[in-house]
Amino acid sequence: MNLRELQVVVACVASRFGTSTVFPFLQQQLDKSVEFSTPVTSYRSLQEGVFLLRNEFPLYSGGVVHHAPLLVALISVFNSETMVSLLYACADALVAYQLIAMAKYFRSSSLPSWVPGALYVINPLVLLSSVSKSSIVFSNLAISTALLTALQGNWVCSAVSIAVASYLSLYPLTLIVPLLALLRNHKLKTLSTAAVTLAALLLSSYKQNDESWNYLFSTYGVIMTFSKIIPNLGLWWYFFVELFEMFIPFFKAVFNLFAVSCIIPFSLRFHKQPFYAFLLCLFWITLTKPYPTLGDGGFLLSFIPFFKPLYGYFRYSVISTLLFIHVSVLSPIFYHLWVDLGSGNSNFFYAISLVYALGLATVLVDLVWAMLRIEYDKGKPNLHLKLTPI
Amino acid sequence: MRANLVCLWAFIAARNSIAVNSIDDELVIPNETESAGSADQTCSILKSSNSPENNTYTVGKKEREEPEIVEELEIGLDGDTKINAVLFSNETIIKYPFGEELTLKPLPRNFMLASFAFELQSNNFTVGKTESAYDTYRHYTVFPKALSPILEYTQTRQLHLRFTHGRWDAESWGQLPHNGTKSGGNGVELWAVVEAGSQHEAFENWIMLANSLSGLFCSSINFIDVEKTTYPVSSFQPAEERTIPIFNSSNQAYLLRAALANEPICTENLTPFLKLLPTRGRSGISSLLDGHKVFDSNWHSLSIDVETSCNGDTCQYQMEENIEMVFNVPNSLARADNPIPKPVRDSDLQCDESKPHDSWECFPLPQSKHTNFQLSKLFGKKILGSNLISENPSKVCAQVSDSWTVYVGIDDDLFATDDNCFTIKNDQLHDIHLKSDNTAHLKECEDVPLFVSRSLTGYGQDSGGLRTVFSNPSNESVQAIYFESLPWYMRLYLSSLKIESDAGLEIGDVIKSTFYLPAIDRERPTHLEFNITIPAETTLALTYQFDKALLKYAEYPPDANHGFEIESALVTVLTPIHYEMRTTTLLLSLSTPDFSMPYNVIILTSTVMGLAFGTLFNLMVKKLVTIEEADKKASAKVGLKAKLIAKLKKLKGKGDKVNQLKKDQ
Repeated sequence: MNLRELQVVVACVASRFGTSTVFPFLQQQLDKSVEFSTPVTSYRSLQEGVFLLRNEFPLYSGGVVHHAPLLVALISVFNSETMVSLLYACADALVAYQLIAMAKYFRSSSLPSWVPGALYVINPLVLLSSVSKSSIVFSNLAISTALLTALQGNWVCSAVSIAVASYLSLYPLTLIVPLLALLRNHKLKTLSTAAVTLAALLLSSYKQNDESWNYLFSTYGVIMTFSKIIPNLGLWWYFFVELFEMFIPFFKAVFNLFAVSCIIPFSLRFHKQPFYAFLLCLFWITLTKPYPTLGDGGFLLSFIPFFKPLYGYFRYSVISTLLFIHVSVLSPIFYHLWVDLGSGNSNFFYAISLVYALGLATVLVDLVWAMLRIEYDKGKPNLHLKLTPI
Repeated sequence: MRANLVCLWAFIAARNSIAVNSIDDELVIPNETESAGSADQTCSILKSSNSPENNTYTVGKKEREEPEIVEELEIGLDGDTKINAVLFSNETIIKYPFGEELTLKPLPRNFMLASFAFELQSNNFTVGKTESAYDTYRHYTVFPKALSPILEYTQTRQLHLRFTHGRWDAESWGQLPHNGTKSGGNGVELWAVVEAGSQHEAFENWIMLANSLSGLFCSSINFIDVEKTTYPVSSFQPAEERTIPIFNSSNQAYLLRAALANEPICTENLTPFLKLLPTRGRSGISSLLDGHKVFDSNWHSLSIDVETSCNGDTCQYQMEENIEMVFNVPNSLARADNPIPKPVRDSDLQCDESKPHDSWECFPLPQSKHTNFQLSKLFGKKILGSNLISENPSKVCAQVSDSWTVYVGIDDDLFATDDNCFTIKNDQLHDIHLKSDNTAHLKECEDVPLFVSRSLTGYGQDSGGLRTVFSNPSNESVQAIYFESLPWYMRLYLSSLKIESDAGLEIGDVIKSTFYLPAIDRERPTHLEFNITIPAETTLALTYQFDKALLKYAEYPPDANHGFEIESALVTVLTPIHYEMRTTTLLLSLSTPDFSMPYNVIILTSTVMGLAFGTLFNLMVKKLVTIEEADKKASAKVGLKAKLIAKLKKLKGKGDKVNQLKKDQ
């Protein structure tokens, strides 16, 4: 780790921790905004869990706490709010560091290795997500750890991390498929280690939760069945508000299938570039998950520097940039118009969530296209060649 | 002997009917049908099919038939009047366990509380013999026949039903009547002790009870469901001196409670209340009760409490029915004089003469301290004699100070008593005259031990807060239980519970114990009970935050933008006195989706999903080629197309030939 990299990591801790301490109200404001908090990731729900745990109320008998039992137990260890802020800042800094470490595996890229980390630090979406103390920070940390350790070939660590990530937010479980492509020499071992870790986590949660399995529904069941209908940037919420009652179970199944539909195709098609396959899967999950936040989006966009060789092939980079700007400017305004002022209606915010989905989809399509192009060009970009899929 | 009894029965019936008949003749109720029609129009009717109109109709029919029978009876009995008269004056005739009392209590600022209390008991019945068993029979006498089977098949041991509307101004009017134990929160409130083998069974009985009562009282009590039902832990407890009888020793008693805050209370609810009385509102003090007047009051409360008490195997239902209302006397009198409000003529204006006044400008004088009115003006009717069937005659009492004089008027004669209580013994028309030269001089109103008010905070439709202010004006500390049941779409964060207090109190100083059962979506409401102690002369506020859920399209009521009524919280004061009070209901506005969008949303969302998936699928399954190659292949394809077209043409040609052949033939 050189000086520049150290600076990036320190800047990360300082910016997160500093913002939390200087503007304590910012956390509450962000926690209430639908872009950064969802029922399954919000900090106030986590706090409620800590409160219930400390007062020995059953944690999951109600419909407010949807965090994993061990996460609630972890946060309940910290007594002061400052310590919790520091924990979140450190978790975020670790992600920044891991991005730097990952960049070192792509020496062919002309970028200095500290750049992805620095971009992560200054990315406002990630910064605000971390300040809002959304628990997505921990899932992101687990995912990036899994990816980094897989690059390093440390299959034990990677398997454990991906198990932790799926324990925290369910859908990263599917990322195990592209991860196996990364660790192709230890497939069985990775798979079994991840399974054992996950089982151990679930069992210890069972012990932690007064020997009751009811947490399974409150944490994973709620995600899969989308039982908390709250506006967010995903595709699910308005669809299930408006859908006729009798079709809801069918479409919940369809949406869940949709969320995992592209995982295996990506992993198979890009098995020669497993790192990219992994990121494409992550993109796909972010696009299709029931409770996405801008924190997910920000984390994903931090990986864009790794695609530098592909930049030339991007066809819609202007469009997708504009779509993201459009979303980040209009989403808070439209939500405010609908919910607080009452001068707009729900369609305003729904439109924004569609635009966000389109933005993610264009980036994803661009990435896939660029990857196919560079494959065709055998690694030597030939931008003048016009190609078409048939 | 038996024949004699039957004869006696017939006579009593005849006599009653005559009385009713004659009174009907005398009593001129102008435009009764018209006004009844208008009352129906003002009521919002969202009721079950068991409408009161049907019931009223059949009863009315019977009564119309009765006079004919009476005439026959009269003819038959004409010769024996003397004997019967002797029989009637004899005290041996059957008197039923029924008592009724009307209490009038003037309140500050020319308000008056009229409180009708009825008490009745059922005949004894034996545990284990159901009503439907073929070898059993049961007399109902005064106890309503409609209620008893419901109580039996739902195994209800105690039933408490409240219909309340309006705001009780505790600061000016003092304590609620009956220490607040007989009035509910705005809307309908129901709680019951149900005997059952398990909680599930108790709930089934409870739903059955709610559905039956819904039909009986012409109200949407059937909207009580699992989302609204709580099992109170320390509030709503049955009085300690009463033991709950359990008929089957393997069962347990369960206390269930629910409230419907948005239920309008209306004339159609009063009619079934009167029907439960043996007098049916046709004699006794209940003859005063008229829907237009009762629901024209500032605050009104109808309540029913049925309790089962047992002595060994024989049991009995005891029922109390209370109908209470607070009138603004000058307004009600003005309404009686002038049913359609008109501006006061300038000659009748009472202006403050120390200020400029003419027919356009007038500073009104404060309300006169003199008053003189009759009860018949307030209620539009006179009391139609005593109830005639009870062991106790009807009673009317006025709780007034020395500045008031109260008379009972029979025909043109006025009578007064020392304690301002009158017993109504005969079947003549009675009226109560109230007169005062200082209406501000009243019997002391007892102060309430605690003031509680609750309000919503926050402005968004996605989250908000609740703030409850407790104020103890007395110099004793007050111990109370705060009960709150909130719908599941308010996702409460108990961790955000904070206390605001000038005295620097901590949560631990005020809340001694907490019962908290968080809500489950569509399955259970939030159930919160705090055991609180409010120190003397202290005001404090408890606040907590909640999120509002978004509902599914079909779960919104037709007027979704009106908001959702949140039922009132109950405060049961334990010390220094036992007192119950409720906060006002709240109106919660939730964010609503666009109700015209279902198809659009399905189409748009599916389009975006299809676009993303389709494009990716396309890219991944197809081969990349240069455009030149693609063009070549495309031109090859055109050849294929051309082949097809050629084939088609061939076929067509053949067809033409066939046609030609046919034509030739």
